Amino acid sequence: MYVVKNALKCIGRSKGRNILIGIIVLVISVSACIGLSIRQAAESAKEESLSGMSVTATISVDRQSMMQGMREGGGFDPSSFQAGMSKLNELSVEEMQVYAGAESVSGFTYTLTATLNGSDDFEAVTTSTQEEDTGTANGMPGGPGQEFGGMGGGKMGIGPMGTQGDFTIVGYSGEDAMTDFLNGTCSLTEGTMFEEGTKAADCIISDELAIYNDLAVGDTIVVENPNLEGETYTLTVVGIYQNSASTAVSGGFMRGFSTSSDPANAIYMSYPALKDMVDTSAANAQTQTDETTGMESSTAVRASAAGTYSFADVEAYERFEEEARAMGLSDSYTITSSDLTAFENSLVPLENLSTMAGYFLLVVLAIGAVILIVLNIFNVRERKYEVGVLTAIGMKKQKVAMQFLCEIFVVTLAAVVVGAGIGAVSAVPVTNSLLQNQIQSQESTKEQREMNFGRGGGFDMENLGATPSMDGMGLPSGTGQMQNYISEISSAMNFTVLFQLLAIGVLLTLLASVVSMIFIMRYEPLKILANRD
Amino acid sequence: MSILKLENVCFSYGTKTVLEGVSYEFEKGKMYAVVGKSGAGKTTLLSVLSGLASPNRGTITYNGEDIRKLDKYRFRSKYIGVIFQSFNLLTKFTALENVELSMDIAGVKGRTKDKREQAMALLSSVGLEEDEANRRILKLSGGQQQRVAIARALSYNPDVILADEPTGNLDGETQKEIMEIFRELAEQGKCVILVSHSPEVARACDEIYELKRTKNERSRKAAV
Ligand SMILES: Nc1ncnc2c1ncn2[C@@H]1O[C@H](COP(=O)(O)OP(=O)(O)OP(=O)(O)O)[C@@H](O)[C@H]1O
Ligand SMILES: [Mg+2]
Repeated sequence: MYVVKNALKCIGRSKGRNILIGIIVLVISVSACIGLSIRQAAESAKEESLSGMSVTATISVDRQSMMQGMREGGGFDPSSFQAGMSKLNELSVEEMQVYAGAESVSGFTYTLTATLNGSDDFEAVTTSTQEEDTGTANGMPGGPGQEFGGMGGGKMGIGPMGTQGDFTIVGYSGEDAMTDFLNGTCSLTEGTMFEEGTKAADCIISDELAIYNDLAVGDTIVVENPNLEGETYTLTVVGIYQNSASTAVSGGFMRGFSTSSDPANAIYMSYPALKDMVDTSAANAQTQTDETTGMESSTAVRASAAGTYSFADVEAYERFEEEARAMGLSDSYTITSSDLTAFENSLVPLENLSTMAGYFLLVVLAIGAVILIVLNIFNVRERKYEVGVLTAIGMKKQKVAMQFLCEIFVVTLAAVVVGAGIGAVSAVPVTNSLLQNQIQSQESTKEQREMNFGRGGGFDMENLGATPSMDGMGLPSGTGQMQNYISEISSAMNFTVLFQLLAIGVLLTLLASVVSMIFIMRYEPLKILANRD
Repeated sequence: MSILKLENVCFSYGTKTVLEGVSYEFEKGKMYAVVGKSGAGKTTLLSVLSGLASPNRGTITYNGEDIRKLDKYRFRSKYIGVIFQSFNLLTKFTALENVELSMDIAGVKGRTKDKREQAMALLSSVGLEEDEANRRILKLSGGQQQRVAIARALSYNPDVILADEPTGNLDGETQKEIMEIFRELAEQGKCVILVSHSPEVARACDEIYELKRTKNERSRKAAV
């Protein structure tokens, strides 16, 4: 016990030296605290979001790996790729439903998206000057806007090329599939929602479309198969909805290509009703074989199905892959989760910052350790005489070493505690401002990259050929995805950080002390006392 | 029976032999004076006796046991009280703290308050006033420091007291008081070994051991 008592006494008797050590440890611990806090913040931001996150995923043809496979197997040939793609269809709703039976899946919704033309009394909303080119759907095969529903779009066993209609008609499996209505982007302003699962040809249309065509609830609209003149379907408008994101989303380059991609021209109905229409059309369709390419094309209405699996948490999503593969999902299909990807992207700045903080921490600790070791060596050498006296009057060297360790420990601990306090106060603002910088640089590099590709805020190269757009409507999300970064953390300091900080303090102290212990152990009292200056 | 016994002890600093075949027995209840010219090796002898230096040859026994087999630190902190020629006090500490610390190191039992009183009493018995006892060592005169060193050596009631010129810095009056303390300790059955140049001190002792210079030391002197 007297060792501790003595240590405390000694600290008080050499204030200057201990203040110096204290300041150094303080600087180290504030830096370490901020570094640790950043890492902790990144970690907990991730965990928190992940734990509260329900994940949705889709299964789609793995084009990337297919392209890659072809590239490796002797050059990429677009036509053979397309031929391959046409053989490999997106999963049908029935197939998707099989995988929905997997244990990990907590929900499954699906949509069918078809493209149809209007009629004399019912025209699509256009604002584009290119109306003449695309709006009338006069069939210009291979045009970028006309490749419907993405490259693998021709679900119904029809050739991939098709004529794009003026309207996008989406059939929903149920209300839980209508994400835009669930998240409040769209809301019904007049009339009622079509009944879930109804086969009746009820639909809801956007208020813009209603105004444009002077339609009210209860009116009927006539749409036509763009591939076969005269094949018409009559729908009853049961409701009119407002799309609050309409103007925002409809801007951008995609709009120029097709009126059907304008959300104002989206018509929503129930899946069974649309499925009926599409099936009828397929039954009546005529098939033609193109003589030059040998590809079949049909006059049936183009439609594509999309299914969204939802999961209670990320683990369930991760389990799903295995389960689906076990259930026979071929490797040509990939399971992706756009919200998980978006989430991961949102973490990029914070994780970059966390990585930098990690390096910073290492540097600080390395420098800190060196400084502390050097200071300790000086300390012991300076106190050689003291060591000599103490051992000469019978204090064991180990105890002397313990006393010295105690002194450093108390000083370090005090500095670490103060450092933790300062760190706790400053960690959040410092982290946030660093994070802001990080996001800015992230965004400017991204912008720069986009510029390099000649599209000022065009769509994301990385997402090309990945999942079909997640809005479940087959509407291209098109314009540059505004990435929502996690831009702020609310608390950084917690017991983990405090604990780590203390551990670092203890470790540094021990490391620094070990050196001084070696010195103490080597001292011989007689020699020290004989050689005193 | 002798408490400390030297048998044919030799000690040298490197090639320089200071003690050569020293044999002597120190008994309890007696006061010894070790005399000899400066540089004769008196301090060295005390170092060897207190276990600070190990002899190159020969043995030293404490109560019949070879001190090499004893725990050196325990031996120094409990059984032997050394008053160093250069005091070896902790300069950052007060006189009282120096005494208290040596009691702590020796493992003297008792409450802190009691030990403090004991230390205070000891300091006043060697002639230090309370305010001097609470002063840092560096603020004390040489003689006062010497008295702190004496108090420290006595604080844990050791069996043997080794004192290197304990009265070298003291006036006649104080020296007499200190000698009385040593005498009292001897009467209590302690073994008191004093190194001194003072004939007065030597005369007050029961036995005088004169340390002669070693042969090579003498021949070197002769050559000069
Ligand atoms: N650490 C040392 N290294 C080398 N030689 C030493 C050392 N300490 C003392 N000596 C030498 O050993 C001899 C004996 O020294 P010691 O201190 O024992 O003499 P002393 O009898 O105590 O003298 P004094 O009466 O002056 O105190 C001296 O010649 C001294 O120079
Ligand atoms: Mg001497």
